[in-house]
Parts: sequence; structure tokens; C-alpha cells
Amino acid sequence: MTTQDKIDLFKQNKDEYRATARPRIVAVGRARYLAIDGKGTPASAAFQRAIGALYGMAYTIKMTRKFSGRQDYVVGKLEAVYRAKSKAFTPGQPLPKDLAWTLMIRTPDLVERGELSEAVAALESKGKGEGADEVRLETLDEGQCVQVLHVGPYEDEAPSVAAMLAHAEAEGLRVVGPHHEIYLSDPRRTAPEALRTILRAPVSR
Amino acid sequence: MKPTTLQDYERRLLRVLVFIQEHLDEDLGLERLARLACFSPHHFHRVFSGMVGESLARHVRRLRLERAAVRLKLGDAPVTELAFQAGFGSHEAFTRAFSAMFGRPPRDFRLEHASELRRPSPSGVHFGELDAFRSLEIPMDLNVEIVRLPPRKVAFVRHVGPYDACGAAWEALLPVLGKEGLLGGGAELLGICHDDPEITPPERLRYDACVTIAAKDEPPAGLATQTIPAGEYATATHHGPYSGLGETYAQLLGRWLPRSGRELGTSPCFEIYLNDPEGTDPEDLLTDVFAPLEPRS
Repeated sequence: MTTQDKIDLFKQNKDEYRATARPRIVAVGRARYLAIDGKGTPASAAFQRAIGALYGMAYTIKMTRKFSGRQDYVVGKLEAVYRAKSKAFTPGQPLPKDLAWTLMIRTPDLVERGELSEAVAALESKGKGEGADEVRLETLDEGQCVQVLHVGPYEDEAPSVAAMLAHAEAEGLRVVGPHHEIYLSDPRRTAPEALRTILRAPVSR
Repeated sequence: MKPTTLQDYERRLLRVLVFIQEHLDEDLGLERLARLACFSPHHFHRVFSGMVGESLARHVRRLRLERAAVRLKLGDAPVTELAFQAGFGSHEAFTRAFSAMFGRPPRDFRLEHASELRRPSPSGVHFGELDAFRSLEIPMDLNVEIVRLPPRKVAFVRHVGPYDACGAAWEALLPVLGKEGLLGGGAELLGICHDDPEITPPERLRYDACVTIAAKDEPPAGLATQTIPAGEYATATHHGPYSGLGETYAQLLGRWLPRSGRELGTSPCFEIYLNDPEGTDPEDLLTDVFAPLEPRS
């Protein structure tokens, strides 16, 4: 592969991102992400701040690589993993106050930790470093997952989640990892009823 | 020429080109512009022709005539007034120069475009001149809003040529800014489309690939800046591939504007890219387009 050929992890792993309104079981391999943690609902200022920090880092790292002629890649979709300590978190139900999340953008393995600190320094030098130093590299190995495509507003995920969990149960599988969402649409201008989101949960026998 | 000298010449020349686009109504003589670029008038003349591909006088004259063509197409100012705005002393001299450039006199040019705009609707209902009849026009699937924008300072790389070939300008701009940390903190990626592709020849279309920067920030050496003026803009969101942007501008400028009771302002149209064309399917691309409006009189 020459540096002219961009790595596109979404296309290269399209089996992992294949989802329809009918839930299915997929095999998800080890994946590396730029990630940032936080607490609060997706409507909170903390969530929006984290999105800004994550994208700022993603493009600073990518373009710095490009500047020096290193391997280029496509910046991936926004993804998020949700957890809550106080009670079992059921997506689609009223959100618990202590909802914790990790926002993530899938990133090629060749991006090194040093590139993150370099990007933080560049962003801070321009007063754009808010939250940048909280962005880290994280590797997930979810393995077997149940997955469904949800089309519509985020608040209406409950039936899609229920269908996903019912499918896992029918296959004799139980959920063993946190709820994962992959945002295929841009909520800024997409009509809520047209938003496309992949819902995923790791499962096991 | 050494690469750094070339870069320096390009930057100085770009400063002049931006000055010309912002001061088309003023005297744009060789001496004044040469001073702005820190060249002797004689040397500047050669540098300008060599790098722009037409002499300074021809460049200014062409831009003024093209602007007049846009105003004929979209507005209803009398030809005599447009002649004066384009720097011509008489209606006749303007008509001669206009015909030489566009192959027909201003009046015919206006009529052709007017007939396009006032084409009868498929239902056979004809448009009246009264506001009350404007609701009978062909339905427009573009949701237009008027917004007041603050000024935006941008670092940019200029592309001259067909709009769909502007990718190289982005390749030249983004890595340099990214390395400096200028792509974080909600920086916007936008494109300034200076010319109407129905009026300006494809090889002369000017497009600026821009990233917003803070008023206090200066871009790395070799990159120029300009400021998109504050004011009222008509805006709409274009959904889908960039190749369809021309159609959205045509609707905004050709169909919405003439019925809005507003006049097109003098600064260029621009577009803000809301998502990343690398990681987004073309049909999911979102672009906000903006057309400047003259203040209400």
C-alpha cells in the first residue's frame, strides 16, 4: 500500500458495520479507538465538549501525519459506549443520572501515543486544547455481538433495543458487555426520523 | 525561481487579488496595486500577467463585466447604472465591451435569464407581479432562511479552474493547519465561490478553500487570510454530493432571491461543509450555502 491509498477502517471492516432493522449476530474483531470518557446525558455540555475535543484531536493527528507524508487514513464515525453504575442501564428508558460514556473514533493501529501528545501541544498552543489531553487510545475486543440498525430519533431506541435483546435470547446468547452505538448520521441537519444508528451489544453463551 | 520565492510571490499576489475583489468599485491602477504587493510597477505588471494569465487591466475589466452580468441576471438595475458601476463612461462603451465578452448585448442577456426565471409553471398558472401571486410559483424544495453572521477570518488556499477540481487546494491547506493545531476548537471548513459558472469561463473560476481562524491568529507562512464580511445572508442546506451544489445556488439565487424583495450583496457566496467527504457517502453530505444580502434600504 502506498501512502496514496488511504486506510478506511469503516470500509475495510464493513462486515462489522453491516446492520439492518432485523437484528443479527456479528463477529467484531479487535479495534483501536481514540476515546474520551465522561458523565451525563448526550444533551449535556460535557458530552458536546467531549465531541469537540475528540474531533479536534482526530483531525489534528490525521493532518499532522499527512503533513509529514506518513500513512493517511479516513477519520471514522463517532461511536459511544454507555454504562451506568446505579442500576442496569436500559437504552431507550429514562437515562440514569450517573450515565457514563466513552466517546470513540476508530483509528488505525499505526497511530502512536506520541502523536497524541504532539497533537495536544499543537492544539494548546492555539488555545484550542480544551479536553484534548483527556483523549486517549483504547482497544476494544468485543467478539461476538448482537447488532441492529435503528432508524429514527435517539429517544425512540427502546423497541430497536428490545428487538436486539430478544434476538440474542432466541439465539441462546446473553449480553456480556456495555451498550455500544455507532452514529451513521449527522444529527446537526438530519431530520430525527431519518437518523441512522447502529446499536450493538457484546454477547456470549 | 526558488520555491520559497515563488511562495512569497504567490502570497503577495494573492493579497492583491483579494484587494481587487473587495474594491472593484475603486480605482485599481497599476501603481497603487504594485505598492500593495511591494513590487515596482514595471516588475509587478510582468509578475501579474505571468502568474494570473491575463494583464491587470484585463483582469479588473473582466471581473467588472462579469459582476455586471450577474447583476443583469439576478437584479433589475438599469443598464446605464450597471455600465457606470463597471467603470464605463457611457452606455455604448459598456454595451460594446459586454457584447464582445458575452456574445450578446446586456439587454438580450437580461431577457434570456429573465425568461428562465419567469417560466410558466407546469400547471399552467402564470406568475403575476404581485406578491399575492408569488405563492403560485413552482414549488421549491429548498428551505431558505435569512441569518445575520459575524465576520469570519479565514486562512485559505486559492484554486483557479473548474469548481469540481478544487481538491488540491484542500490538500495544500489542511495538513499545514492541522500540524499547527488550527483545526481544533470548532474550526469551520468553508469554500468561497467567487464566480458564477454560467458567466465566468471554467478555467477562470476562483474558489478559496478556507478554514476559520481566530482574529488574533495568523496562519503559518505561505498561507493568506481574508475576512468574510459580517451581515445578512440567505442560507439553505444542500443535501447530497457536491456536484449538485450548483443547482442549489441556482435555486437560491435564481428563484428565491428574485422573489424575496432583497438584493444580492457585493461580497461572494460561500458554503460551509458540515461533514467529512472522505468518510461520508456522497448522498449523506451536508453543506450550508450562504448568499450575501444588501442591507434593506
